[in-house]
Amino acid sequence: MKKTVQIPLGSQHISLLEPIRFKFECENEKIIGVDADVGFVHRGVELACTRSFEFKQVGYVVARVCGLCAITHSLSYTLAAEKLLGYEANDRIKYLRMLMVELDRIHSHMLCLAHTAENAGFEALFMQIMSDRELVMEVQEAISGNRVQFDYISIGGVNRDLTPELSALVHKNLTLLSEKVDMLIGLFENNWSLSLKYKGVGVLSLEDAYTYNALGPLARAAGLATDVRAETNDFPYEALGYKMILESTGDIHARNFVRLREIVNSIEMCRNIIDNLPSGEIQEKAKGKPNGEAVVRVEAPRGELFYLVRGNGQNMLERVRIKTPTFSAIPAMMEVFKGAEYADAPAILASFDPCMSCTAK
Amino acid sequence: MFRSMLEAFKNLFKPVRTHPYPAEDIVLPSGYRGLIEYGIDACIFCDKCEKVCPPGAILFYQHESGEKEYRYNPWLCIYCGECVRACPKPEEALWQSEIKQRPAVVEDGANEGWFAWEEACKKSREEYAAAKKAAKTQNKSEE
Ligand code: SF4
Ligand code: SF4
Repeated sequence: MKKTVQIPLGSQHISLLEPIRFKFECENEKIIGVDADVGFVHRGVELACTRSFEFKQVGYVVARVCGLCAITHSLSYTLAAEKLLGYEANDRIKYLRMLMVELDRIHSHMLCLAHTAENAGFEALFMQIMSDRELVMEVQEAISGNRVQFDYISIGGVNRDLTPELSALVHKNLTLLSEKVDMLIGLFENNWSLSLKYKGVGVLSLEDAYTYNALGPLARAAGLATDVRAETNDFPYEALGYKMILESTGDIHARNFVRLREIVNSIEMCRNIIDNLPSGEIQEKAKGKPNGEAVVRVEAPRGELFYLVRGNGQNMLERVRIKTPTFSAIPAMMEVFKGAEYADAPAILASFDPCMSCTAK
Repeated sequence: MFRSMLEAFKNLFKPVRTHPYPAEDIVLPSGYRGLIEYGIDACIFCDKCEKVCPPGAILFYQHESGEKEYRYNPWLCIYCGECVRACPKPEEALWQSEIKQRPAVVEDGANEGWFAWEEACKKSREEYAAAKKAAKTQNKSEE
C-alpha cells in the first residue's frame, strides 16, 4: 500500500511570507502532488474601482494593489484609460514612464534575489542585496517623491519632471549598482553553497512551461521566449536596448540568472532613457469620458500584467479586471513542485517571487 | 575560508550601512511629497480639490451663512498631489509642503473623528441645499 503524507505550507507559516496555502502530498521526502489555495486577503479592489472611485482616481487605487509594482499597475490602468479616451502620450511622457517601470523591475528583482539567498541560508547575502537595493529605492524616491507608493503616473502624463540633478543622481546610483550586480553575478555563479543548493532544483521544463502557460522570469528561465515588452508596441523598448534574456535549464539557478541579467539590461535601458530623453510637456489634457473596452498588457517584474477596463461614457467605470502575473503562473508553479524534495519547497517558492496579496487583491 | 575570514575582519572596520533611525533623522530628498497646506485667503471655494481627491481627505463643511470650512485629514491623504494640480490657485490656496506627518495618536481622532466630520459635512450640505430651495420657492410665491 502506498503511503503518503499531507503537509501544508502556509498561509501562516514561518517559511512563507505570502498569504497562500500549498498542500503538498509527500511520499517520504518527495512531493508528488500539490494543491494551492489563494484568496486569503481579498480586498475588493476591482469593485471599489467601479463603485467608489471615478475613473480619474482609479489609477491611484490600483497602485495600492501591490507595494512593489505599484508603478506597473498604475501604468497599465492609465494606458487602458488613455486608450478609451483616444489619447496618446508624447515621447517624453513615454520615456519617463518607462524609466520608472524599469527602475521598479530592478528593485523587485533584487528583492527576489535577496529572498532566494536567504532561503539558501545565506543571511549575509540577503542583507547585502537589500542594502544595495537602497540605491534604486533612493532614485525612485527622488524622482517620485515617495519611497513606495510612487503615484507618479496620472492620466495624460506623469506628475513630476526629471531635472538635470535627478538625471545625475540616477546615473551615479546606477553606476554603483551595476558594480554590485556584477559582483552578485559572480557570487550566484561561483559560490559553492548557492550553486549546490540551486542548480538542478525546482526544474520547469520548456514543454511544461508551454503547457502550463508560464510567464515572466519563470518562463524565460525555462527557455520560453515570452515577454510583453517584445510583444507590444506601447513603448519603444527595442530602440532603447531591450534584450530578451533567456536561460535554458529552468531551475532556481536559471531563474536567479534571468533576474540578474535582466537587472543589467534594465540598468542599460535606464541609462539610455536618460541620455535620450526627448523634450516636451509632461502633462497633457486627456479630455472626455472613457467609452468602450480596452485591454492592456504590461510586463511587470514578475511577468505579464493584464488589465481590462470598460467604460460607458460616464465618470464611473463599468468594469476593471486585473489579472496579476502570479495568478497566471500558479499552474506552472505547481508543476515545478512535483518531484521536488519537500525541504526545497520554500526555496523554490521564493524563486517564483510570488505576490499573493496582489493575486487575491 | 581564509579569504572569508579576512573579509569578516575587514568588515569590522567598515562604516555601518544601516541608519540609526530614531537617534538620527532620515534625510528626506528635496521634493518629498509631504503635507498638503492650505491658504484660506486665496481659496475661492471651488471645491475642485475635494472632488478630485481619491480617498476624500479634503472636505468642506457648509455653514448656514454660506461660508465653507476647509478640513484636511493628513492620515487619510495619500499625498498624491492631485488636489494641488486641480486647484486653480496652486501655491496660494493649496500647495504640497515637504513636511512629513507624524503618526496619529488617539487624541487626533484620525478615524472616528473624521467619520463624524464626514457625516456632518454631508448633512450640512443637504441642509444648506434644502434651505436654499425653500428660500427660492418662497421668493417665487411672494412674487
Ligand atoms: S494629496 Fe491626494 S490624497 Fe492628499 S488631499 Fe490631495 S488629492 Fe487628496
Ligand atoms: S481647489 Fe483650491 S481654490 Fe478650489 S476650493 Fe480647493 S483650495 Fe480652494
